[in-house]
Amino acid sequence: MLLELRHIQKRFGGVTALRNGNLAVDAGEVHLLLGENGAGKSTLMKTLAGLYLPDSGEILWRGTPVRFRTPAEAAAAGIAMVHQESLLAPHLSVAENIFLGREPRLPAGFVSRRRMMEAATRLIEEHRFPLQAGWRVQKLSPAGRQLVEICRAIQHGSSLLIFDEPTSSLSESETAEVFRIVRELRARNLAVIYITHRLEELRAVGDRVTVLRDGETVHSGNLSDTSTPEIIRHMVGREFSALYHREPLPPGEELLRVEGLSRPPLLADIHLKVRAGEVVGLAGLVGAGRTELCRALFGIDPVAQGAVHVAGRRVRIRNPRDAVRAGLALIPEDRQRTGLATRLPLSQNITAANLGALTRFGFIRGAAERRVAGDFISRLRIRADSPAQLAGRLSGGNQQKVAIAKWLFRQARVFLFDEPARGIDVGAKAEVFAVMDELARAGAAILMVSSELPELLQVADRIVVMREGRIAAELPRGSTQEDVMRHAMLENAGPKPELRS
Amino acid sequence: MIQRLLPFLTLIILFVALALASPYFLTPANLSSVVRQTAVINTMALGMTMIIIAGGIDLSVGAILAFSGLLGAMAMQAGMPIWLGVATGLLAGAFCGLINGLLTVRLNINPFIVTLGTLGILRGVTLIISNGLPVHRIPPRFAFLGEGSVLGVPFVLWLLALCAIATHVILEHTRLGRYAFAIGSNPDAAFYTGIPVGFYTAAVYTISGLLCGLAGMIEASRLMTGQPTAGQGYELQVIAAVVIGGGSLRGGEGSVPGTLVGAFIMGLLSNGSDLLGISPYLQQAIIGAIIIVAVTLDELRKRRFAS
Repeated sequence: MLLELRHIQKRFGGVTALRNGNLAVDAGEVHLLLGENGAGKSTLMKTLAGLYLPDSGEILWRGTPVRFRTPAEAAAAGIAMVHQESLLAPHLSVAENIFLGREPRLPAGFVSRRRMMEAATRLIEEHRFPLQAGWRVQKLSPAGRQLVEICRAIQHGSSLLIFDEPTSSLSESETAEVFRIVRELRARNLAVIYITHRLEELRAVGDRVTVLRDGETVHSGNLSDTSTPEIIRHMVGREFSALYHREPLPPGEELLRVEGLSRPPLLADIHLKVRAGEVVGLAGLVGAGRTELCRALFGIDPVAQGAVHVAGRRVRIRNPRDAVRAGLALIPEDRQRTGLATRLPLSQNITAANLGALTRFGFIRGAAERRVAGDFISRLRIRADSPAQLAGRLSGGNQQKVAIAKWLFRQARVFLFDEPARGIDVGAKAEVFAVMDELARAGAAILMVSSELPELLQVADRIVVMREGRIAAELPRGSTQEDVMRHAMLENAGPKPELRS
Repeated sequence: MIQRLLPFLTLIILFVALALASPYFLTPANLSSVVRQTAVINTMALGMTMIIIAGGIDLSVGAILAFSGLLGAMAMQAGMPIWLGVATGLLAGAFCGLINGLLTVRLNINPFIVTLGTLGILRGVTLIISNGLPVHRIPPRFAFLGEGSVLGVPFVLWLLALCAIATHVILEHTRLGRYAFAIGSNPDAAFYTGIPVGFYTAAVYTISGLLCGLAGMIEASRLMTGQPTAGQGYELQVIAAVVIGGGSLRGGEGSVPGTLVGAFIMGLLSNGSDLLGISPYLQQAIIGAIIIVAVTLDELRKRRFAS
């Protein structure tokens, strides 16, 4: 066995993040690590990568017990982590990043730029990565940055690579590229630990699978012996039947109408209607303009032309404030960066968009605010210690619910959900979709962007497909993934991974 | 919790230690002198607390103090009544704060740079207006602001208490305060929530400017001079007070009680060193070390709870 983690325990203050983490990985295998958010996957990997010291348990590396006190020690042993959020130096070149900290030296301590570029180019060509050694990392897409991290790991002679949700921000074609690379690493007898939330991906890369639940390893075995429903059952600890089925509603009045909206070169001539009680799915490849459309509608980016009507009234939206006043709500893709004030209590996040309703004579009524926060916490089943808990300490799913609660309290009528289920676990996903369904039943109009086609097809009443900044098609409920993908990609125009943005 | 109270404990320990070490410390004369000396830094630090909570910084506070103190003194020298002179100083301060706020918001430039610039501009303008000469002909009764007492307590302490309570209430119980925290914690999220980020940012700088104007008048009253070079280096003491009191330069964190404690810790250190005959050179080094220790302890506390 290359690596064995035995009975790893880790506590933070009063919270036990890991009570019994077990994992065994062999050279030449791709080992999937699954579990809901908060199950302890990241904590387990961080003990392995030298970011946390376990409270108890042992780590066997090539059969001998080890303790990694720093990431450098883990890296020296041959363990590398490809992070979800890139940890590269954006202003340096691809080659410089690959060799960061281990630059080829000339006498007198100078760095040999020429040798570095040559070695990086050799490495990139050997693996057929669509990169160039001289490119600035700043200009790379998330997929390109991951490739640089992978190059770094290979260059440093790592024998175990940890991928933490590598495909969560990638398009389909980029995902395929990551799979190709993972398989190639396996063929070179490297071990790969692969963390993912996307159940559809499992079979594409994995050999064995380990499932964590509530800080404990509950299942470990060959992927071929384990069915997907079985895996889900291990993850959530309960049966998970019809995934996220929605009963369509009779549509009500037209709440959002977009006419000829353009923002060259990203958006061109967008026409769109969403009625009360309707969930309209917005599909398309990464870069097709879905997020850009949400941002333009919400007044974040300027619009060149076009008209927006909300509930039959023409509205001018020049900034998010106008949008909020018009009754729009945006639940952005990146909760941590743009959705929440993570260092403020969740109660303050919930009330932030509608403080006026809680203010009397200029003062915020504390008791009323606590009541509002308490109501939403129980109504949306937000799992938190108290309304004063910092929003950043909640799990992804609960953070998403807080982001939604903010707009519920504002009584918004048109909801723009940008990747509402990204990075949250299966159970929380179902809950978020249930909240969206409730919203629709209460008469809201919902526009939902998602890169996960199966869930989009299940949740949405109609699918609008975007391609290169335009509406490419509108498909009814019951369409298949193939229908959507055919419109999302030009047929026969096999898209090359777009690595430079 | 213990660590959150650490600044308070430090203040109390410092107080007790000084009372034991020096027979002069607990005399009314000395205590009121500590209060009067720290009042200026304290008043400015209240405004800085709001700015730092909102994720900003203002390096020009010392320059605003000098500018508004000089204008107020000139107004009185020109024959205006005292109240009008004080009002002139306050308005001048608020105006400078507004300019800082507008530049930060409109040009979208890092406030560190903006206020570094206005620091220079205001110092220069103050020297030009005054020709580099202090303004002396001030009505004697103006001395009451800095040196007078009400009910046996220095008038500046009453003023400071009033400003501190007002700032605390604004921060904790009004929309302006809430938005300051929201903007400082995550400006993008605040913008996406529909909060008028620009307006509230400018408001925070303006209020801070107003408080600097008041501090300028207190300083002028204590010196009975409109001193164009007043307040040199105050910005660092003011920022230090906020930071020792738990304010975070990343924004979103800070409190009025914390800042007051921070300012008084520095005030007591300086007073104690004087009483005990410690060289002022060493004082500076001690305060520098305290800043680093305070922030380190605060970071450790946050880190322990973070993960």
